[in-house]
Amino acid sequence: MSPNSVGLPVAIVMVEDDEGHATLIERNIRRAGVNNQIFPFTNGTDALDFLLGEDGSGLAHAGSSLLILLDLNLPDMTGVDILSKIKSNPHLKRSPVVVLTTTDDQREIQRCYDLGANVYITKPVDYEGFANAIRQLGLFFSVMQVPTTE
Amino acid sequence: MPSRSQFPISAIVLMGAGTLVLAIIVISSIWLALNTSRLAEEVTQSRRTRIVVSNTLETLLNAETAQRGYLLTGSERYLGPYNAARSALDRNLSDLAALENGHPGSQPRLLRLSRAAGAKMSELAETIALEQAGRHQDAIALVRTNRGIDLMDDARKVFGDLITDAEQTVTADMKQLNANARLLELVTTIGGALIILFGIAAMGVVFRAVRAAVAARREVESLNVTLEDRVLRRTEALTRANEEIQRFAYIVSHDLRAPLVNIMGFTSELEVGTKALKEYFGQEKEEARPAAREAALDNLPEAVTFIRSSTGKMDRLINAILKLSREGRRELAAERINLKRMFETLVASLKHQIDETSTTVSLAENLPSLNSDRLAIEQVFSNLLDNALKYLQPGRPGRIEIWAENRQDSVVIIVRDNGRGIAENDLERVFELFRRAGRQDRPGEGIGLAHVRALVRRLGGDITVASKLGEGSEFRVLLPRTLPQEPSSKAS
Repeated sequence: MSPNSVGLPVAIVMVEDDEGHATLIERNIRRAGVNNQIFPFTNGTDALDFLLGEDGSGLAHAGSSLLILLDLNLPDMTGVDILSKIKSNPHLKRSPVVVLTTTDDQREIQRCYDLGANVYITKPVDYEGFANAIRQLGLFFSVMQVPTTE
Repeated sequence: MPSRSQFPISAIVLMGAGTLVLAIIVISSIWLALNTSRLAEEVTQSRRTRIVVSNTLETLLNAETAQRGYLLTGSERYLGPYNAARSALDRNLSDLAALENGHPGSQPRLLRLSRAAGAKMSELAETIALEQAGRHQDAIALVRTNRGIDLMDDARKVFGDLITDAEQTVTADMKQLNANARLLELVTTIGGALIILFGIAAMGVVFRAVRAAVAARREVESLNVTLEDRVLRRTEALTRANEEIQRFAYIVSHDLRAPLVNIMGFTSELEVGTKALKEYFGQEKEEARPAAREAALDNLPEAVTFIRSSTGKMDRLINAILKLSREGRRELAAERINLKRMFETLVASLKHQIDETSTTVSLAENLPSLNSDRLAIEQVFSNLLDNALKYLQPGRPGRIEIWAENRQDSVVIIVRDNGRGIAENDLERVFELFRRAGRQDRPGEGIGLAHVRALVRRLGGDITVASKLGEGSEFRVLLPRTLPQEPSSKAS
């Protein structure tokens, strides 16, 4: 992934409650040649604390570039809540959000796009499909432009 | 309803009684009328008898007066009234006989009367015959024997007796008539009063019956209204249950899928790792050594760990689902539950946690008794109390209040705590299977409240929560006072 305008590399924030999934995702992204830093979170509370910063304003990441990988089914809140908080935050709203979840419910997909999700991917149950999807996502990340957080 | 079947019987009895009284009045009236007319006839007859007897006496006196005149003067002129009196006497006697005909005891009186009259008349005829024969002195001598005046006195006495008799009969009959009139008056008055009484009673019965009918109709109407209401509520409950099932299926499929992805993913990682080992050990390629080393030391054990934890997770999920399903199938048995006592027992069993968190638990006095399934009720409230103790705000002594709002057929039990609370958009989520809210700093599977809600709904109630983040939560459990019959458990 290309560094942003001020030269800082893009950081990937991965919100995924399942550590197995997190490991598999990370491994496959790495296999695609993406070496950006990954911040893994296993629940929504911690992820929001990190994203919005201590003051809750989102100003903490000004100047950096974030790409958010988001699972919808979290133990403490739904990913949809996190998504709407990111997209309604003046500092974080341009950060690309990739929803990566097992849900293929049409209403849920529509709702995510309505809220401003950039990509919605359903996790394939078969591993080949899953690994393939993550690898392609990694390739996609490597050519993607991520705006700088204001 | 008993009043409905009673109505015709009592009404018929009353009407029958009324008719009977009416019949008695009519019969006694007819009888009294007949009696009265008989008495009136008797009175008339007695009066006529008296008159005829008086006339007869007068005729007899006329005849005697004429005889005296003839004997004194010898003038034929006096014989006219005498002869007229004679024929009048015959007519009078036959009239009297006709009047007295058929009257008990009249024959001897009549006989006495006609004999007395006959004796007098023959004495008169004898003297007149002597005078006519020119034997004036003989005729006077006959008069001087005083036989004539004696016979007349006799006749007067007989006639007087008859008149007295007739008068006595009239007096007695009049008395009888008066008595009859009074009896008729009495019977009519009492009968009328009874008929009015029965009428009022019958009206009362009819009125009551009408009122019962109106009430029954109202009941049917209100039942219709509540039926619609009940159908509406049942439909709502079914819709809710259906949505719940869909949500449940979604959650189950999603949550079972997640570990499955892991198992398959790490199985593939195992393959990748074993391939690296094969390359190094099988083909003895030195450049494959780092990959083989990484596989042996990191990747393979990691894959095994994840596969094991994923299968463990699947097992836990399946067990949780099975538990919920078993709970849903368990036969509920209603029994009397004193909620106050049940809460005291629950609090006693949680004493350790309560003391540890320096929590005060207050139980209201108005906690009622229910007719419900004891185990289910205990599970519901022990889960709620557990949660209240588990999610207290750190650094604040816990306070749990439990009270009831008593309604007509149901009761709302409120469990309020001053714990850390639930964010507004998580209020519905906390009841969902495998979902939890807030910071995940406490152990748990996300089953408790899902189980609680399933139980409460099976008991015919519902559970809601109101909460303010950082201030506390209030769970409201609506329960029917009596466990409703489960149609499904009966059918199966």
